[in-house]
Amino acid sequence: MTETAPSARQPGVTRQRCARCVLSAPFPNIKFDVEGVCNFCRDEVGARSDDTAIDRGRARVMELFAARKARGATYDAVLCNSGGKDSSYTLKLAVEKYGLTVLSFTLDNGFVAPAARDNIHRIVDALGVDHITVRPALDVFKSVVRAASMLPIYGEQSLTRISAGCNACISLVNTTALRLALEKEIPFILAGFTLGQIPANGIVYRNHYRFLAESREASMSRLRDAVGLEVDRLYGVPDSVIDRAPTYPYNINLLCLESITETQILAEVGKLGWKRPSGLDGCSSNCMLNTFNNYVHERRHGYSPYELELSHLVRKDLMTRSEALEKLADQPLEQLPYLVKSLALSPEDLATLGLSADGQVAG
Amino acid sequence: MNANQVAERSRILEGLVTFVTRSFMVEASDIDMDKSLIDQGIIDSFGLMEITTFIENTFGAKIQEQDMTREAFGSMNKMATFVYRRKCGEI
Ligand SMILES: [Zn+2]
Repeated sequence: MTETAPSARQPGVTRQRCARCVLSAPFPNIKFDVEGVCNFCRDEVGARSDDTAIDRGRARVMELFAARKARGATYDAVLCNSGGKDSSYTLKLAVEKYGLTVLSFTLDNGFVAPAARDNIHRIVDALGVDHITVRPALDVFKSVVRAASMLPIYGEQSLTRISAGCNACISLVNTTALRLALEKEIPFILAGFTLGQIPANGIVYRNHYRFLAESREASMSRLRDAVGLEVDRLYGVPDSVIDRAPTYPYNINLLCLESITETQILAEVGKLGWKRPSGLDGCSSNCMLNTFNNYVHERRHGYSPYELELSHLVRKDLMTRSEALEKLADQPLEQLPYLVKSLALSPEDLATLGLSADGQVAG
Repeated sequence: MNANQVAERSRILEGLVTFVTRSFMVEASDIDMDKSLIDQGIIDSFGLMEITTFIENTFGAKIQEQDMTREAFGSMNKMATFVYRRKCGEI
């Protein structure tokens, strides 16, 4: 059960990993049995309740779509389109399987791979979808990523499935999508998350912004202290926008309702012109910053932020264990110097992260 | 509350604890039942949405927009009481 393949980020380091999935010993509350299989793999009750939650999610989505009004001049859904394979396939599902009129939206965080941008354009063109890009002030965004990477901005428990840098970015995507939906009176927000990235009870939910904002206040306050009041412009929705909107939209993750392998997804989006960008880490098909975020997460928490998602796919037979291990190991660390320079990390931050002054992995 | 009502509320609390420990990778002993799960760092705002979905699905207690308050969701005990009262039509 000890994984002997060296970790890409910590050459020469071996670690205990579940013999069935890819969760490793530093993962919170993990226990291994005598066969080296983890408690998450052995949790049959959890797996059954996940299946029930998926069935309920599917029924709820069908009910919501069936009840939607003919929109006429506006959109049924705004889709958060990262340009990756999953959001591209979700867009295809929304348009072709569910017949929705979709507004595709990309948050350009300054690290979207050029090839991913080309993919976005090819896919929206092929599906005949309107598309907009929102680019936040990059100096503020980078300050947020720096703060999220170096300080305890987010609770430990919200970082079991996602790195702090990705969390900062996805929160911005979600808030921007919500603002668009409220402003344009769009009833659904779609995203390409898969099970493992989100839990089965998160497939469909009403986006009660004010309630959620209250629950985010502690992390927002830490972010404000670290970055400044500009974060409210990026991460807040003005009261006037909420008060004007007739109701809160639903967030729906359509991909969680499909049982589909990565190979099948790649074949489907490939038909629409999607091509895998080169030079990205094994767990991303759109964002260059992911390599840095993964590195930081592994450094701070001792495990990859993708272990939970990949383990889910392995358990569901949608990916082999060796494919998952390959993805975890595939990290283009040679890009770290460019990324840390772009983020303007201080010499102290670099030292804390075990990086040399020019951003190379030390030792 | 009579004995049956107390038992019913405990059953709800037990279901919530099982869900939270399984979903958010904590032990029951890590949870302070009288404090907000968010303040304890056990869940984030997305976790809160998961719990509301779980409550609706498992206990059949419909949650309205006006229910989304700290009074109803501010701790495990508050959630159990909220679900119990909603189920038996008290609120
Ligand atoms: Zn396992």
